[in-house]
Amino acid sequence: MTDMSSPESLSRREMIGATAAALVTPLLVPRVQAVLNAVPLPPKFLTVAEFTLLDELTEMIIPTDNHSPGARAAGVARYIDNRLAESLEPDWQALWRSGLASVDGLSRELNGIAFMQSTPEQRLAVVTRMAAFELRPATPETEVRPGKAAVEAPAMTPAEQFFAELKRTTVYAYYTSKIGIHTDQNYKGNVYQLQEYAGYDAT
Amino acid sequence: MTLVKIAPPIPQDVDLQRTYDAIVVGSGAAGGMAAHVLTSKGLHVLLLEAGKKLPIEKELRSMQWPYDHPRRGDAPPGSHSISFNEYTIRKPPYAVNSAYKHVYSYVGTWGGTDYVKNILVDEKNHPYTGTPYAWVRARALGGKTNIWGRLALRLSDYDFKAKSRDGYGEDWPIEYKDIQPYYDRVDRYLGISGHKENLPHLPDSLFQRPVKLNKAEVMLRQKLKPMGRVLTPYRAGVTTDGVKHNKYRSKCFGRGACNRRPGGCDIHAAFDSPTGLIYPAMDTGNLTLRTNSIAREVLIDKNSGRARGVAFVDSETQKSYEVNAKVVVLAASTLESARLMLLSKSDQHPNGIGNTSGHVGHNFCEHVMGPGVTGLVKELVGKPHTIEDGRPGGFYVPRFRNLSDRQPGFIRGYGFEGSSGQSIFPSHTDRPGFGAQYKKDLRDHTGAFISMGAFGEVLPRYESYVDIDPETKDKWGIPVLRFHYEFGDNEHKMAEDMFTSAREMFEAAGIEVIGTDREVLTPGWSIHELGTARMGSDPKTSVLNQFQQSHDVRNLFVVDGSSHVNASCQNPTWTIMALAWRSCDYLTDEFRKGSL
Repeated sequence: MTDMSSPESLSRREMIGATAAALVTPLLVPRVQAVLNAVPLPPKFLTVAEFTLLDELTEMIIPTDNHSPGARAAGVARYIDNRLAESLEPDWQALWRSGLASVDGLSRELNGIAFMQSTPEQRLAVVTRMAAFELRPATPETEVRPGKAAVEAPAMTPAEQFFAELKRTTVYAYYTSKIGIHTDQNYKGNVYQLQEYAGYDAT
Repeated sequence: MTLVKIAPPIPQDVDLQRTYDAIVVGSGAAGGMAAHVLTSKGLHVLLLEAGKKLPIEKELRSMQWPYDHPRRGDAPPGSHSISFNEYTIRKPPYAVNSAYKHVYSYVGTWGGTDYVKNILVDEKNHPYTGTPYAWVRARALGGKTNIWGRLALRLSDYDFKAKSRDGYGEDWPIEYKDIQPYYDRVDRYLGISGHKENLPHLPDSLFQRPVKLNKAEVMLRQKLKPMGRVLTPYRAGVTTDGVKHNKYRSKCFGRGACNRRPGGCDIHAAFDSPTGLIYPAMDTGNLTLRTNSIAREVLIDKNSGRARGVAFVDSETQKSYEVNAKVVVLAASTLESARLMLLSKSDQHPNGIGNTSGHVGHNFCEHVMGPGVTGLVKELVGKPHTIEDGRPGGFYVPRFRNLSDRQPGFIRGYGFEGSSGQSIFPSHTDRPGFGAQYKKDLRDHTGAFISMGAFGEVLPRYESYVDIDPETKDKWGIPVLRFHYEFGDNEHKMAEDMFTSAREMFEAAGIEVIGTDREVLTPGWSIHELGTARMGSDPKTSVLNQFQQSHDVRNLFVVDGSSHVNASCQNPTWTIMALAWRSCDYLTDEFRKGSL
């Protein structure tokens, strides 16, 4: 389940697996595959430090709970890194790079220490601050306008702006993953209904 | 699974030396219907389509899970879909100076640009100018029917005789009883799903089995009854029981695929023009199809002033061709047919072919959208998850304004399209918060929301029009349309009432309103543009007669939405096809008599 958001790396791995299968006896193949799976692929766009920070942030937004695994298990950071790596939009790439830097900046400002070095409580304080704009009063009529960003706050800090993008992307990547759709949401659709359709008659 | 897997027919060779009985320009709902009717009556037809013939099942991939797609449905890097803000703040052409390699209309933002990137036009190649307009175009065999919204409604005499009721505009030159037999034929030939309601203003079709409602929808239906309003299952142009005479289409298996993306059905249970109309027409042996053929002019016989054929450009080779026919049938879409007529200037037709009235391009109308409401049904929070999106649409609330009442602020009416229940992606993800509680809230609230948005009639006005831009040309050197179009006072007052009535209905049903939309969307958003070559009995104020035949050029027919006299508030596709069928019956009779 770790890499389903990364078909390119999957296919690379399948290729290696196929080559290995051709060279060694079938009995050895499972072991070769296990070793290959254990090696984490380096991020393509982000540095390892940035990737580790992103992975932690996504897991804080959608954590593992007693119902279902969270964003880390669903490979959300890997998906985001893949999209960033192939993007042709420097502004978008820069938003993520500077956004991740702003998280550490805010962490130092609040706790005097880099985010990944801080305690869970300190990390929570940082992300809570990043999300503070969500609780500022918004005009009710603008909540769900199509085609517009959900929140148009006039004075968002860089960390807040990054949080909006981070949350939107994390939520999208998680709920389009296998874990999100099947394990968390327990989605029943996208199947052939061969008899009656599910639902209720108009009476 | 016994799914339909019949290959498309082998196409006939195009013979440009031949004089065809008829050339049909455009292969969407109107052109497909014209091809079907004319070939079934033995006419030899050449169908010209500007776009490609796509391997459509491979494009749509209806059942593909998001996680099986490398970008979860997004198009490759370098693609961009125009947003509401861009349409609003800027003026067209929207894509000319874009840094993106490919730019698509807003439909791409629905999730799944990769599935429609070859169906929608690349806006960079297809500029237009003038006032803001969200023009959605699909150049491919079948046109917009490849991804249409599927809501298939009839018009009634409340629409055809609207002027007689409120004094505005013009009546249609037909009434309901003229078109009813053709609605019936379309229903039987293509299949339509729905529930009978016996409403005089929204006549029932010959329905196959209806799609089901969700719990919230049943509840709203019950609560609307005392208000004299109706919530009915989506009337979908989808065959739920199958159409046995058509080997290219399967019945609907309630996969719900059509609502996850901009639309489309890879088993063709939802009507599309290629499998529903064009392939069967090819099987008659009377249809020749040429794709990649961009019509640029209707050619004139200098002696008679009648149409003699069509000039077109091959979209791939850029080469120009002419082809002759005894009859020319335009079905290129409301705006493209008007463009083609205006481009077809000659000594006999200095203002464009069929345009002595000066009305071609004018009386342009559509549906105004934007206002709507989202509600939370508290009773559904935390309930087990079931299949709730396995259907081609949610519900429809037909018009209830200006039927027996007279609204003080506006004439005509609007209906609501809506849906509820669990879908593949949870709703209201923009709620505040993060972490375990946020995740649990999303899970518990899955399927507990209901929402609906209105489609309202935009009045036809002479001063709402398109003409040919004197400077701007498309990729093929063909002059483009310039828009002179904005909503008027009636639309804005109607939109305010949509907003108020949407909220009022949810509140009456005990649904907690959690979001409302008040703003009117950019013109064009409904993809229901109509009226640019309207029918009428007076050649001075209309372009076509009641059989969509040019008043000026008797062997020229325009069988798409451009012929509509007003927009009504009902989605137009079924009416476009019923009218085209009726007109092509007439065309064939006249053809046989030698009077064209």
